[in-house]
This record gives sequence, structure tokens and C-alpha cells, in this order.
Amino acid sequence: MGEARSQNERLECALSSAVERWSPKPNVVGSIPTGREFQIFLLAKMSEINLVNRSITLKELKDIASLGFGDMVKAVVDVEKRIMAIGGSMHADEEKFLLEQGASQDDLWGINIYPDSQEENRIEFDSMINVRPRQNNRSRGVESIELQKKIIEIVDLLIKE
Amino acid sequence: MNYIHKDLAESGRWHEMSLSEQLGNVGSDVDRIISWRKKENESYATNAFYRALDLLDLTISDKRWHGPKLKELCRLREVLCDSFFGGELYNTPLEYFSKYFYQFALVARKNS
Repeated sequence: MGEARSQNERLECALSSAVERWSPKPNVVGSIPTGREFQIFLLAKMSEINLVNRSITLKELKDIASLGFGDMVKAVVDVEKRIMAIGGSMHADEEKFLLEQGASQDDLWGINIYPDSQEENRIEFDSMINVRPRQNNRSRGVESIELQKKIIEIVDLLIKE
Repeated sequence: MNYIHKDLAESGRWHEMSLSEQLGNVGSDVDRIISWRKKENESYATNAFYRALDLLDLTISDKRWHGPKLKELCRLREVLCDSFFGGELYNTPLEYFSKYFYQFALVARKNS
């Protein structure tokens, strides 16, 4: 029960943060959804895939995590362009999103980000999209330590405390 | 790009095929995975899996499908990988993919 309450509290918190973030500005044209409809609108908005090419705060990541998997956010990092896509329900959706932005599949690596964890445990290298034998990566992880370091460096630059 | 099917990648032949032909061919390797697993030859099954991924990646790199179809192709790849490693995440057996790809093979033959 305690855990369930805590989950609800997190959801409430994320929703109020989303209201702040996505409430239509005065210059927005169009109908403004209300009540339950607005909540659904917010949930859809928060589960959209977002491109992170400058920075994202830990708080924003926590909000996205709360509305999705709870403790983690799936992300796909483009190690060439040094950007990432987050918020998808599958790494494959984020991969598709970045491919459409002109990425090369060979540069895309799936990770999970745990915003509540200490920095050293924040990134998990585990995604089905990483299984890429032609690049000598035969597991869901990222087998090259060099590549792992590069991904950590990019993610650290993109996430602000 | 270090494709197993270098000839198909470099000649551009793969990208001249229809989507049904491409996925029908991916399905052939998926069927080989199942068949080698039945014969308990994991090494050959793994090779077939790598070839299937290779062809699927060539399909994903085909700009003709960079629209609504791309989402299904990327998801297909992720779920196929999970399935090969035991299907813990998406609970989809390899046999499902056999049926899925077979439909494309049928369409490809109808059009030829």
C-alpha cells in the first residue's frame, strides 16, 4: 500500500509539473482541453518522444519516468551527433525517431537512465536495438568500453542536475 | 557499413526490391533459426539470426520506408531480438515471426 501511495504521489507530482510545462500559453491558438481530457492530453504529451540536443534537467527526467516506467527512462543516444531521444515506450520507437532525423543506425545505442540513482549507476546499457553483430556487438549491452565512455560523456553533458 | 550481405548492400539490389520481397527474405533466415534450434545447432541458429538482422537493417536503411512503415520495422527488429534471446520482454515466440514474414513472402510471389 505504501508503495502504491508513493507511486500515486509521484504521478500527482509529475502531472502538476506537466501542467506547468504544457499549459497553453496566451498566444496559443486552438481549443484548450479541460478536465480528464486535459489529463490524457498531458499524459500523451509526456510520453511523446523528445529530442534532447541541448540539455534536460534531472527533474524533467524524473517526471517522464514517473509517467512511464516509474524509475527509468528509455533513451537512444546518437554518438555522432551527440544527441539523444527519450520518452519512447520502446527503444525501437526512439531509434526510428532519430533515423528520421537523419541519423545512421550504426551511431545509435539504447540505454536506460535512472534519474534517482547516483551518477555512477544512472546509465544502464541494455537494449535490444544494441544487438548488432555487424558492429561486433552481439548482446543487448554495449560491449566496447570506449563506446560506453563516449555514451556516458554525452549523456552527462545533456543532463543537468 | 559492415554488412554480411555486402553484395546486396553495395550493388543497391536490396533497395530495388519491394518491401514484401525484402521481408519475405528476412523470413527465410528466421525460419532457419527455428529449424537449427530444433536440430539443437545453436551455432547455425545464431548465424541465421545474424543474417536476418543484417537483412532487416538493410531494409531499415531503405529510405523508401522512412515514413509510417519505419516504426513497424524498428519495432519488428527489437521484438525479434528479444524473441531470439528467450522472449522475456515481449513474450513473442520465434514461430510468430515465421507466420508474420510468410505473409510477405506470399505477397512477393503473387506480384512476381
